[in-house]
Amino acid sequence: MIALLPLSHFLFAAASLAWKRGIRGLLLFSLLLDAALIGGLFMRFAHGETISLVLGGWGREMGVELADDRYSLVFCLLVLLLAGGAIAYLWQERLRPYFYMLLHLLFGSVFALLFARDLFNIYVIMELLTLTSFLLVAYERRAYQIWASLKYLLLASLGMGMYLFGVAIIYYHTGTLNLGLLASRLVAEQGTPWLLLASSLLVTGIAIKSGIFIFSLWLPAAHASASPAISALLSGLVIKMGVVVLLRLALVFPLSLPLEVLSVVTGLLGIVYAIYTYDLKKMLAFHTLSQIGYLILGIGIGSELEIIGSLEYAVGHGLFKGLLFLAAGAAVQATGQKDIPGLIIKRTQIPLAARVGLLVGTIGIMGIPPFAGFCGKTLLSNGTESPMMQTILLLLSVGTVISFAKLIPLFRFERGPSSPWSRTSAYVILGLPMVLFLPLTRLFLSIDMWKETFTTFHVLESLLVVGVGYLIYRILPKRPLPLPQRIFRLEEGILVILAGFFLVFLLFALG
Amino acid sequence: MRRSSRSMIIIAALFVFSFCTVLIITFDYRGAQEEAGAAYIENGVNDTGAANLVSAIYLNYRLYDTLFEILVFSVAVLGVHFYLVQQKGSAEEVTHIPESQIIRTSADLLFPPILLLGIYLVLFGHLSPGGGFSGGTAAGTGLLLCAVALGADVVAQRLHEAALERFEWGILLVILFLVLLPILFGRLPLTDLLPRGRLGNLLSGGSIPIYNALIGAKVFIGTWVVIYAFVRHRGEI
Amino acid sequence: MASINGVTIAILLFGIGLLGLILRRDLVVKLLSLGLVNGSAILCLVSLNARRNGVPPIVHSLAPAPYVDPLPQALVLSAIVINFAVLALALVFVMFLVERYHTTDSQRIEHEISREEEER
Repeated sequence: MIALLPLSHFLFAAASLAWKRGIRGLLLFSLLLDAALIGGLFMRFAHGETISLVLGGWGREMGVELADDRYSLVFCLLVLLLAGGAIAYLWQERLRPYFYMLLHLLFGSVFALLFARDLFNIYVIMELLTLTSFLLVAYERRAYQIWASLKYLLLASLGMGMYLFGVAIIYYHTGTLNLGLLASRLVAEQGTPWLLLASSLLVTGIAIKSGIFIFSLWLPAAHASASPAISALLSGLVIKMGVVVLLRLALVFPLSLPLEVLSVVTGLLGIVYAIYTYDLKKMLAFHTLSQIGYLILGIGIGSELEIIGSLEYAVGHGLFKGLLFLAAGAAVQATGQKDIPGLIIKRTQIPLAARVGLLVGTIGIMGIPPFAGFCGKTLLSNGTESPMMQTILLLLSVGTVISFAKLIPLFRFERGPSSPWSRTSAYVILGLPMVLFLPLTRLFLSIDMWKETFTTFHVLESLLVVGVGYLIYRILPKRPLPLPQRIFRLEEGILVILAGFFLVFLLFALG
Repeated sequence: MRRSSRSMIIIAALFVFSFCTVLIITFDYRGAQEEAGAAYIENGVNDTGAANLVSAIYLNYRLYDTLFEILVFSVAVLGVHFYLVQQKGSAEEVTHIPESQIIRTSADLLFPPILLLGIYLVLFGHLSPGGGFSGGTAAGTGLLLCAVALGADVVAQRLHEAALERFEWGILLVILFLVLLPILFGRLPLTDLLPRGRLGNLLSGGSIPIYNALIGAKVFIGTWVVIYAFVRHRGEI
Repeated sequence: MASINGVTIAILLFGIGLLGLILRRDLVVKLLSLGLVNGSAILCLVSLNARRNGVPPIVHSLAPAPYVDPLPQALVLSAIVINFAVLALALVFVMFLVERYHTTDSQRIEHEISREEEER
């Protein structure tokens, strides 16, 4: 059954080209089909069954294995919601069949990646994902979009080249590409130089696509220049796929120290840039870089609570970042202004639904209870023992508030033009689960853990964070800080990636 | 302005040099797995019926990866088509540089063997080195030779664009259908249902020859589409 | 320890490709360097699993010699096709940019684009 999810999408991709008239119906139908399949998977999972199959009926060491587990299922949910939101947003726009085909391929490869358990399979799926998202970003063929996506393609290809090197080394020494078999064969080999090398290569390759600051320097340009629905999909979904792969690798390779350090680096650097960026979409993109820090931290620390926190935050972030990008895109389109000061001036031109969407998204991202951000952040900071990590998490939260406080003048309740129903429904699709997040987390935690995590103390703590952040925002000078912008160019970007490789290598050696 | 700044060159050289050194030093040649491919070598023939074990792997055991690879190829062809043909105003017609007698004669001589070689590679892909991808590419470049000799427009007239477009997704649909077919029989998708046949026969190897043929056709058409898109965009060959 | 063999050459090629990607400003050269980088990864994969007296893994009665491991070769097939696809698409985009800005210099294109950004 799980093989059907990606394969059906590929079928629909080809069919979209063939049957041009019913193309949107096809999209909707495929979404419903996915929902049905995922519902089936959930029910089997609730009964304790996980599926693990090898396509073609061969054994694990010969064929390609697909398996599901709770991580896959949680992300499947996110895919459904984001796909629904994006499809709703785009429903009334006229797009060529080529676009729909790329969308189908994107969703198909995302599903395939969620179930992949094989190193080379991951490579091939990642390449397909890179190509489809690269083509989607450049769909409107504006010069800055093409340049941003070209940079993305070059860096991602370079990363996959490094990943392939790593795969070669791993295969040479272990004779298998299957993650399950690798886990057992690598136990005896901890700390050997080739394992360090291979792990660093693999992690560097995936990190380029995961939105970790040092590696993913293409991200601000690419996500900011894409059209709104595509930005939402990229930031909310595709980036998470890199994180999912890191999660899978973390179960096989000793990734804790590198991931923890990288999470702190990306979190802090992303936030600093986000605070001082006044271009709305770029700020959201920098924010994504920083929020990935939360996710990687959870995976790096690796305890049960932490991983659940990461998952929750991933879903929540996908929702509110998707919502923010959609709403921001609508706002920018309506006013023609990219910068936040300009948007504030022209705020009466922004559709009301978009403004509400921005408001809900901002509340979520600030971590105000009881919305999505609060749940994830609290789980993450609860699960870790070290006070240093908790302080850093607090700092990140405060920074988030500071960077988003700029948007507050937008939210005065004034009239605005109405949006087409498709966009409003998109906002609702993404916003509603976000609002109802707290009760939904009950599905994943036992009742004790739930009560223990979401105490009044934490509620007060997050409100305090918001208050402090707002105060700091008022105090801070508004002059833009001279942050190095040169690193976002292609050449410097590659150098920074190499530096990151050395960093990862060192961290592996120390860990 | 044509050269990068001095500091950049030094830093880049330093980084890349240390990167390579780290790689070379930590590369350990000792732990090779001797029985790495043994499972494939022992069971390959019996399981798949193909003599070419590489074909057996990528068209049977790991067909899933090949599926993605086909999709990547299709996306590339469709992307090139979208950007160069559907959108950009390409040149009205392809100016044809008058061919020299040498090119014309050699094309006459070479094109049939090249096409034949492509077909051979595709058909015998499961028995000797070859397969869909190499066969399709060989035949596709044969078409390029034809275009150079006769003029791209002449070849393009024979291969109608609308038909090619339908062909593109048609083959993709057929491949996906084949892939999903075993579900109707209650098996997992991508399983090979056809009989294996005797080793060394042309009609052996289960569905491997079928996939080879489909992939060969797809790569053939795809290569031509890409080449022609570039030629038409440029306006001359 | 590290003799001159396929893998060392692959690593060196990777380095050369990286240098080309970083230092040369011409977009087409950057694409070639990218191809070189991916090609070196493929070379590594192939030469790592090669064997001295190995025979291609085609089973027939004339060659009972030790067969080379067929799996990396299958991987390489996919990698080559993917490499081709990436280069083709990147070339299309490079062509688009070059025609728009009449230069293949990446720095100038970057400069022009950021200038356009500010005007927007």
